[in-house]
Formats: sequence, structure tokens, C-alpha cells
Amino acid sequence: MNEEIHTLSGAYALNALPLRELGEFEGHLSRCETCSIEVRGLRETAARLGAAVAEAPPRALKSRVMAQIAEVRQEPPQIEEEPAAEVVVPLRRGKGRWALALAAVSAAAAVSIGVVAVNEIRSRDASIEQTQSLLAAPDAVVRKVEMVGGGSATVVASESRRKVMFTSELPALDPSRTYQLWTIGGERIRSAGLVDGGGIRTATVELPAGTDHFGVTVEPAGGSQQPTTEPVMLAKVV
Amino acid sequence: MGFVNDVVPLSVTGRSPELDELLTSVARGDETAFERLYDRLIASVFGLIRRVVRDRAQAEEVAQEVMVEVWRTAARFDPARGSAMSWVMTVAHRRAVDRVRSAQASSDREDRVARMGGEVAYDHVAETVTTRLEGERVRRCLDGLTELQRQAVTMAYYGGYSYPEVAGLLKVPLGTVKTRMRDGLVRLRDCMGVER
Repeated sequence: MNEEIHTLSGAYALNALPLRELGEFEGHLSRCETCSIEVRGLRETAARLGAAVAEAPPRALKSRVMAQIAEVRQEPPQIEEEPAAEVVVPLRRGKGRWALALAAVSAAAAVSIGVVAVNEIRSRDASIEQTQSLLAAPDAVVRKVEMVGGGSATVVASESRRKVMFTSELPALDPSRTYQLWTIGGERIRSAGLVDGGGIRTATVELPAGTDHFGVTVEPAGGSQQPTTEPVMLAKVV
Repeated sequence: MGFVNDVVPLSVTGRSPELDELLTSVARGDETAFERLYDRLIASVFGLIRRVVRDRAQAEEVAQEVMVEVWRTAARFDPARGSAMSWVMTVAHRRAVDRVRSAQASSDREDRVARMGGEVAYDHVAETVTTRLEGERVRRCLDGLTELQRQAVTMAYYGGYSYPEVAGLLKVPLGTVKTRMRDGLVRLRDCMGVER
């Protein structure tokens, strides 16, 4: 256990970590069982500090909340990941790096089931097919990018296909946080959807014309209109 | 059954299996369970948010966002990873902190206060003997901390400050603040008898 990072558990339980360290610590947390147990106890403790300052809100709040939830769709339960072993990925003949990239990306895509992608949960086959088709595009750009907090992401983008695919292992986040994908073109930053952490994730999203970067941030659950934190990953897509 | 605010304050000690079950039912779309969960938790949720954001109208907005988020994302609650109370309070604290950190630049803040500040229909049911007793116990535990531990924990939790901000305000090194926050919480945990 890394003692230095481990001392952040208190600040983390109090939501007092600056964003730079938040991603790093959550990455560490997903690999450190002792730390998760400690954080759990400290969170319970912090919650009691909150309960100690209880104060009743106006009655009208309840009617507003009850009226609003009647119109808000709930997130479906998390889908269990299926074992990837049965999946046979037919690899096309490729040369050098391309073949390697394709193999790596397809293997990742094969286990990318738990993604809450932009609009739908894609089937495994569709995901692999899409990946292959994207890689086959004459203008496909493949980049391997470091993730803040460790690990790497593969980003495949094709201007002609107007698609960008992102795959990486994303550490589990606290339920009140989510990963959010962004396409960036000049000054314009557009949300490309939300992805939950907790395993290898793959998402294929539209690449609006003029996009030059693709990024991922950690945002409050439900996502943000514009990024509110430093990206955990940023890749050039041209 | 109307919206009578039948607020039951949370117990500071012990985990409530009933709350965990309620939240699990909420994940399945049970609005009655949500209403009961609301009644049980709203005073804690609102009190915490109010302590962090201060402004009452903004606190109401954030509390509403929090409860709707609880409804929307209840499926993510995993009883094996903590109590329902801790889960909900974490969402509440995160949202409150996000609000104060982003609202520092917001210029429409005063406008909003002026627009919504007139509402005065408060409910005092929650101010029961129980709340005062539980609050008393937490305060006793806080008194058991060193001055620096207590300041570090309360400035972060009730003030919404990040640990580097706390270090700056208290003029102590970053590393010291980090360890005081952890030591302070560990001592509180043991004092309150929180299950691990």
C-alpha cells in the first residue's frame, strides 16, 4: 500500500480532494481493498456529521420533488459483464501496428458490455463490427493515450466515418460521479455521453465536423453541460 | 396521503436496515418507498446542504436536485458497499460542494436569493429531542479531537473547502492537513461507534 496516497482517505471521505487528486485516488481505491474499507467507515462517519445538523426544509419542497420524480426516468440496474473468453474475434490480415491495434481494440470491445453509451447499450457484435469498420477507414487515426491516474486509452477516429471510438479501463467512481465524453472543436465543446466506470469500457460516438480533440472528464452524476473538471484523458483526433 | 412532513431524524449510531431496504425498493421504481425515504432523510440532507451553501433558497434547489438524483440513480446503491444513509449523504455533500465551488463566480446568485427568499413556510417537526441528543453526541465526539483535527474536518465537511484551501486558511502544510483530516475522522468514527 502506498502510504502517501493512502493518507488521502480522510480528505476523500470529506469530498475535499482537488480534482487532480480525485481521479488519482479513485484509481488507487479501485485497486486497494483496505483503502475501500477505510473509506467506507469514514464516509459513514461523515454522514453522521451531516445528520447532526439536520434541519427541516419547507414543506413545499416535498411536493416539488414528488412531482419531479414522476417525470424522471430511472437508470436501469448495472449490467453484469459477460466473460469474454467465448468471443472469437476474426482478425483481418493487417500489417504491424495496425494488426496489433485492431487486436487490442477488438479484445477490449469484446468485454465492453457494461457501458451506458450515449443512446443505447450496444451489442458486443455490433461494437466489434463498428470498431473494425472504423479502423478500416482510410483516414482512421489511432492513438494510445495515457489516462490521468494510470492506465491508457485507445482512441480511434475517422473524419470520413464521422465517428470516434474510445476504449479504456475506467476505475469505478462514487455513485455521485460519472465519466463524461466530449468532442472538442476549436472553442466548441459538446457532450458525447456518459459512461460508468468499473471495468473496460468502449463507446463509439458521433464526431461532429471540425472536431480536433476528444476528451473524458469526471462529472457529477447526470453529467454537465460543459466540462467542470480537468480531463482524465485528452486525445487529438486529427 | 398528502405531503405532511413526518420527519424522523436519523440515528447517529448504528445502521438502519430499513433505510437500506427502502433505497433498494426505490431502485425498482417504488414511489411509496421513495416518499418514506424522503421523510426519513430530508432533514439531514437539507441541514447538511444548508450548512455548506448557507443560502436557504439555494439549499432548497440543491436538496431537490439531490433527491431527484437519488431517485434516478438508486440502482447504483450497493448495500455491500455502505449504508443507504451514507450513500444519500455523500450525494448531498458532493452536490453542495459542487454548488459552492461553481457558484463563487455566478452573478445571478443575489437575484435568485431575492426571487425566492420570501418563502417562509418552514417546518419545525424535525427539531425533536432526538435530533438534539444526536447532535449533542456528535459535538461531544468533535470535542474529543485536537483543535487542528477538528478544524480540518469541519472546514472540509461543513465549509466545503478542499484540503489545500483548508491548509491555506489555517496556514499549515498540506501534508499536515491531509493527515489531520484522516486522523480526526478515524477518531470520530471510533467515538461514534460506526460499524466498519
